[in-house]
Amino acid sequence: MIPGHGTAPVVETRQLIAKYGERTVLRGVDFAVKPGEIKVILGGSGGGKSTLLKHCLGLIEPAGGEVRLLGQDLTTLKGRAREQLFTRIGMLFQYGALLGSLTIAENVALPLVHHTDLPKDVVSEIVRLKLELVELGHAEHMLPSELSGGMRKRAALARAMVMDPEVLFCDEPGAGLDPLTSAELDELLMRLRDRFGMAVVVVTHELMSIERIADSAIMLVQGLPVADGPLDEVKQVDHPEIRAFFGRVAAGEMRGSRSALEILTGRG
Amino acid sequence: MSTDFQCTDSADGLVLAGVLDRDAVPVMLKALARKRPAAGARLVLDLSGIVDMDSAAVAGLVTAWRHAQASGAEVTVHAPSPVAQRALQMFRVPDEIIPPPKPPGLFEGVGGQVIEGLRAGRDFLRLTVDGSLAVLAALWGWRRTRWAHLVEQCIYIGSQALPIVGLVSLLVGLTLAFQSAYQLQQFGAAIYVADLIGVSVVREMGPLITAILVAGRSGSSIAAEIGTMQVSEEIDALKVMGLDPLRFLAVPRLLAIVLMVPLLTALADLLGILGGFVVGIFYLDIAWSAFATQLLKALNAFDLMSGLFKAAAFAYGIGLIGLHFGFSVRGGAGEVGRTTTASVVASLFYIILADSVFSVLFYVIL
Repeated sequence: MIPGHGTAPVVETRQLIAKYGERTVLRGVDFAVKPGEIKVILGGSGGGKSTLLKHCLGLIEPAGGEVRLLGQDLTTLKGRAREQLFTRIGMLFQYGALLGSLTIAENVALPLVHHTDLPKDVVSEIVRLKLELVELGHAEHMLPSELSGGMRKRAALARAMVMDPEVLFCDEPGAGLDPLTSAELDELLMRLRDRFGMAVVVVTHELMSIERIADSAIMLVQGLPVADGPLDEVKQVDHPEIRAFFGRVAAGEMRGSRSALEILTGRG
Repeated sequence: MSTDFQCTDSADGLVLAGVLDRDAVPVMLKALARKRPAAGARLVLDLSGIVDMDSAAVAGLVTAWRHAQASGAEVTVHAPSPVAQRALQMFRVPDEIIPPPKPPGLFEGVGGQVIEGLRAGRDFLRLTVDGSLAVLAALWGWRRTRWAHLVEQCIYIGSQALPIVGLVSLLVGLTLAFQSAYQLQQFGAAIYVADLIGVSVVREMGPLITAILVAGRSGSSIAAEIGTMQVSEEIDALKVMGLDPLRFLAVPRLLAIVLMVPLLTALADLLGILGGFVVGIFYLDIAWSAFATQLLKALNAFDLMSGLFKAAAFAYGIGLIGLHFGFSVRGGAGEVGRTTTASVVASLFYIILADSVFSVLFYVIL
């Protein structure tokens, strides 16, 4: 199936509630990603960004609410139908999550080998094409442990894209990368969106990256969305966390705490 | 201790001057404690003479402020020098101190452990059922099974364990033979060493030694490997690629361990008996033909088959326990180590328990 068709949300959560033990992490989140858009999930540490991402992928069972991926309800989807649905998405994990016992080519080929009946030489050719796309053609036969962090991440991106997914999820794609590699990765994500109409969901804190790639954004604060929409509109929302996030005020000020000077001199 | 710090009394508090650093903080706190402002009183700290100040000094001042607040008094800072102002400005003070979570009480703690244990039991049962179904499905749809991975696992669990299993079995056979020879010789029944070694090694020691070595060597490795994959999100990666981690990871390991452990046990049986044979020939002067005849008389096919069946059952349990502990890892690398150790302990317990059950069963059958 060629991605990028239709206008219905490719990822959608309705009143999503997530809990870790007694702690509620998401408190009724409505979230939607349109086909062909790059949506960024923003928020401070512990705000529920990665939890939202994991729920969108069905890696965690929600405590309440609904998660729909490519129109299908993930909470009820099981077995073969679920496996088939996952062939239409890709995920770039924060540290790559490449299987250490397989070579880069074997890692990238994994979904193709298991979900298609393509001949071996065609699979190898697809793998080479994807590895070239991320400039890792030379690393085909290397093990993940022989690659640098940036190369591992690019290899993981090649694996995430190998089935030409309709939605690509990325968890902190720029984390641990130098600014140049991070910018190249962003560039690649935008090309994927432009050429294949792929929707991309990105969890990141990196302002430069957000400015570069985001079409729209959702800001989570303590498990609740405080802004959702086009990036320019989200940036203008008058909320202390958003002001702090986009650097308009200091983080401590945003949390309402006072400096030691204010406290000890009785000012503020 | 800082010698550049001066703390002198003033009409309404203290005058602090010089370098207020971590060495000077105890001096300042002592002076403040001496003053001990009464409820409603106000203590002023003059910081105009401070020439340097570190974070410990800021924390010391905030501590004094909190203590005073708690007793209804007030501590304030007066005319801080530019250096003191910069230091105090830099740090922000949270409005409220969040207390640490209370440790669970006795009943809560015991209850929590019981619930945790029940959950682990439920997860283990689920893994046993799902893992067994995945093995059957893999055998049924053998074309799509990763045979190369199975061979890899067989080499690791089987071939690479040959030297250690062989050596330990030989030594156990020698030791058993020596111990029994000492007793049997007293009754002129040395030839029965062959019976004793044959039956005990084939029915008991061979499967047991092999299982214990495999639990320590391969069971722990399964738990550590899967646990590390869990921590590094490789299991999640498999799930989002639409691959069943059980089929992908558990099946080759379970099949390999069940195939290899009986083979290793057969080797352990042979070498254990060889140990007894060596003692019989060279220490007890039994003719090799007499030893062999006696051994064949003592052993029957049921002994051999029950030993190998036990070995397979031990192996399946060790594999499942390794997988269960591996998949249950949450958190970081430290958890992998702890879980791996726990998996070995659980495997050893399982081996002994299963062995006892089999002993009773086989006794009843015979």
